Amino acid sequence: MYAVTVFTQLCIYAILTLSLNLITGLAGQVSLGHAAFFGIGAYVVGVLTTHGIPFAPAWLVGGVLAAGFGLLLGSISLRLREDFLAIATIAFNFVVVAAFLYLPYFGGAYGISGIPKPLGNAGFPLLVLATTLGVVWFHERVRASDLGLAWMSLRESEVAAEAVGVDVRRFKVTAFVLGTGLAGLAGGLYAAYIGVIRPEDFGFPLSVTLLAMVAVGGMGTLWGPLAGAFVLGGFAQAFAFVHNYQLVLYGLLLALVMRYRPQGLLGKLG
Amino acid sequence: MTVLEARNLTKRFGGLVAVSGVHLRIDAGELLGLFGPNGAGKTTLFNLISGTLRPDEGEVVFYGEPITHLPPHARALRGIARTFQVVQAFGELTVLENVLTALAHRALTGWLPLGRYDAPVRRRAAMELLERVGLASRAGERAKNLPLGLLKRLEVARSLALQPKLLLLDEPLGGLNLRESEQLLEVLLALRGQTTMVLVEHNVRMALPVCDRAVAMDAGRVIAEGRPEDVRRHPQVIEAYLGEGEDA
Amino acid sequence: MDWQTLSALAADGLAVGSLYALTAFGLTLVYGLLRVLHVAHAGVYAAGAYAGWLAFRGGGGLGWALLAGAGCAVALGLVLEWWFYRPLQGRSPLVALIGSIGLFVAVGDLLRILFGPYQHSLPVLPPRTVVGPVSLPQVVVVAATAGLFLVVYGIATRTPLGVGWRAIAQDAEMAAAVGVPLPRYTQLAFALASALAGVAGVLVGVYYNQVYPTMGAVPAYKALAVVVLGGLGSPWGTVAAGLLLGVVESVAVAYLGNRFPPEGVAFLAMMLVLLFRPQGLLTAEPQG
Repeated sequence: MYAVTVFTQLCIYAILTLSLNLITGLAGQVSLGHAAFFGIGAYVVGVLTTHGIPFAPAWLVGGVLAAGFGLLLGSISLRLREDFLAIATIAFNFVVVAAFLYLPYFGGAYGISGIPKPLGNAGFPLLVLATTLGVVWFHERVRASDLGLAWMSLRESEVAAEAVGVDVRRFKVTAFVLGTGLAGLAGGLYAAYIGVIRPEDFGFPLSVTLLAMVAVGGMGTLWGPLAGAFVLGGFAQAFAFVHNYQLVLYGLLLALVMRYRPQGLLGKLG
Repeated sequence: MTVLEARNLTKRFGGLVAVSGVHLRIDAGELLGLFGPNGAGKTTLFNLISGTLRPDEGEVVFYGEPITHLPPHARALRGIARTFQVVQAFGELTVLENVLTALAHRALTGWLPLGRYDAPVRRRAAMELLERVGLASRAGERAKNLPLGLLKRLEVARSLALQPKLLLLDEPLGGLNLRESEQLLEVLLALRGQTTMVLVEHNVRMALPVCDRAVAMDAGRVIAEGRPEDVRRHPQVIEAYLGEGEDA
Repeated sequence: MDWQTLSALAADGLAVGSLYALTAFGLTLVYGLLRVLHVAHAGVYAAGAYAGWLAFRGGGGLGWALLAGAGCAVALGLVLEWWFYRPLQGRSPLVALIGSIGLFVAVGDLLRILFGPYQHSLPVLPPRTVVGPVSLPQVVVVAATAGLFLVVYGIATRTPLGVGWRAIAQDAEMAAAVGVPLPRYTQLAFALASALAGVAGVLVGVYYNQVYPTMGAVPAYKALAVVVLGGLGSPWGTVAAGLLLGVVESVAVAYLGNRFPPEGVAFLAMMLVLLFRPQGLLTAEPQG
C-alpha cells in the first residue's frame, strides 16, 4: 500500500517534470512558477468535485484552465528577457498562491478537503500510471517532431530560428500552453489522490524542486526529467531522515550540479 | 527579373541616420556585392531587407510584393535566407539537425507540427546540402564543437535548405583565414547563376572580383553602383576607403 | 489621518524601505557586473543576521553585531564569487541562476539545522521612542542606512572603483580592454554587496527582534521586486525604489489590513512594471 502511494506520487512528479521540460528544457524558457499551474489544476478539481461535478470533466477543465493561464504567462514572457522572465514566473507563482489563500471558495488557509477519489484505491493509481505513460508518449512524440526542433532552435538562437522560418513568439507561447496544461492535469490527479489540498502545497519551493529535478536530471532529454523526478522525489519519500535534510541536500545538489555539470547528470556530454 | 527592390529606405537610431534614402535593385541570378567602410550602413540595410529591422521611411518589395512590415520568419518562409556576421549556429544540435531546422519550415505554419523532423526524405535532403558545402563527414557532431570556418559553411547549408529565392550573406569571410576564405568562396561561386545572392563584405580584395555587380555605400547612402571594376575606380569610393586605409 | 499616525507610518515606511534598499542594492550591483541574478544574496543576508545574533549572544552590543554580520556576510559572499560565479562566467545565465537558487535554499536550511527552526530574539536596542512616535530602532536603521549609502556614494563617484564598475556594467569587454581589472573589481563589488546585506540582516533582526532560518525568503522576493521597480542595473534607482516600496507597504497595511497581503503589494507592483515598463520606474532608457 505504501509502495503504491510512493509510486503514485513519483508518477505525478514525473508528469510535472516532463511538462516543465517542454517549457524550460526544450524551448529554453525559464519557468520558476510551474507549481502554480499544478495548483490551478488541483484547485479546479477540488472545488468542482466537492460540489458534485464528476471527476473526468473537472479534470479536463483543470487542465484547460491551467493552459489558459499558461497562455497568459506565455504572452507576458514575450516582452521579457531571460532574467526578467525568471522573476516574472516567481511573481506569478506568488500571486496564484495568494489567490488561493485570499479568494472566496478556495477555503483560505485550510484549503479544500474531502476531495473524492474516483475509481477507488485500486483503480485510481492505474489512472495515474496511464496518464504518466500518455505524457511520456506525448513528450517523446513532440521531442522528435518539427515542433520540438523549432523549440530547440529558438532555445539555441532566437535570431537564427527566425531566419529559418520559426515564428519564435508563437512557439514560445505554445510551449507554455502545452507545458502548463499538462501540469494542470497533474494537479487534478494530485487533488483527487491526496484528498486535501492547501495553498502552500503549490508555492515557490515546489517550483524550485521541480526545476531542480529537471536541471539535475538533464534538461531537454526524456530520462533526465524522469530520473530527476524518481531519484529526488524518491529520496524524500523513502528516507525519513532525508526529509529532515531535504532542502539543504537539494539545494547543495542543485548548486553542485550547476557548478560542475550544468548539462545535468544524464544530459549529453558537452 | 527583379527579385528585390528597396525604395527610399531610411533608418535612424536616435540622432544617427544609419541608412538614408537608399534605392537598391537585385536581379535574378546575380551575385551583388555591397561594400563600404565601417558605419556605412551595410549591415543596417541588410537587416532592413531580412526583416530584423523595420525602416522609418521607404519600402521593401520582393517579387513585386511589399514586405516592408513582415517579420523575419515570414520573409524566410517567402524565400529570403540569410547568414549572420556573428555566426548563429544551433550549438547543442548536431550539424545535421542544424540543417534539418530549415527543412522543416513548410510544416511550421501549423499550430502543432508533430511530424518527425528527421524523416528519411528530410535526412537525405540535409545530407545532400551538407555534401555541397563539404560538411557531410561531420554530420553527427555538435555544432558548438566546430571551428568558425566550418560553422560559416554550415550557415550557408542551412540557408540553402530554405530553397531561397534570395540569399543574404553578412560578412561571410569575417574571421576566416586565407584558406578558409577560399573554401567558402568556392562554395558560393558554385551557387552562382542558380541562387540570387547579396554579399556584404569588408574584405574587398577577395570579394569584389566574384561579384557580378557592386554597390558601394558611405555614411548611409549609395555612392556608386555598377560593374565591380568601375565601382572600385570610382573617385568617391576611393575617397571613402582611403580614410579606412583599405586597398580599394 | 492625524499627525501622529502619519509620522508613525512614515517612520516605519522609511525604516523598512531602508532595509529593502540595503538588501536590494547589492543585488543590482552584482547584476550590473555579472548579468546574473544573485539569488543566494538573500542567504548571505540571513547568514549575516545570524552572525550578528551570535555576537550579541556572546555579549556584544549593536556595534559588534553589525561588525560580525558584515564580516560573515562578506566572507560568504567572496567564497560564492570565487567558487561559484566566476567559473560560470561564460555559460548561460540560467545555469548560474538555478545554482544560485539552490545555494539560497541550502544556506537557509543549513541555518535551520545549526540553530533550530525557531526564532531567536535580538534585543540589542530598547524599543523606546525617541521623538513623537518614532522609535529608537527606526532612527538607528535609517541613520545607519543613510551613513552607509553616503559611503557607497563616495566610492561610486570619487574612486576609480566606482568608475570601473560603471564601465564594466556598460560593456565588460571594453572595460577589460582598457585595463579595468575585472576579477578584483568584481570581488570588491561582491564584498560591498555582501557587507550591506549582512548589515541589513542584523538590522532587520534588531528591528523586528527576531532572527529565523527562512528570514531570507521574504527579502529575497522583495529585493527582486525592488530591483525590478528601480530598474535592473540601476543601483540608485534600486535605493529609491526600496524606500518607495517600504512607504507604500506601510500605508497599504494601515489601510487594507487583512484584506490583502502586504507581500501582494510588492508583487503586484512588480508584475505591472514588468508588463508595462520593464526598464523600471526610475530609469529613462530600456535596458540592453
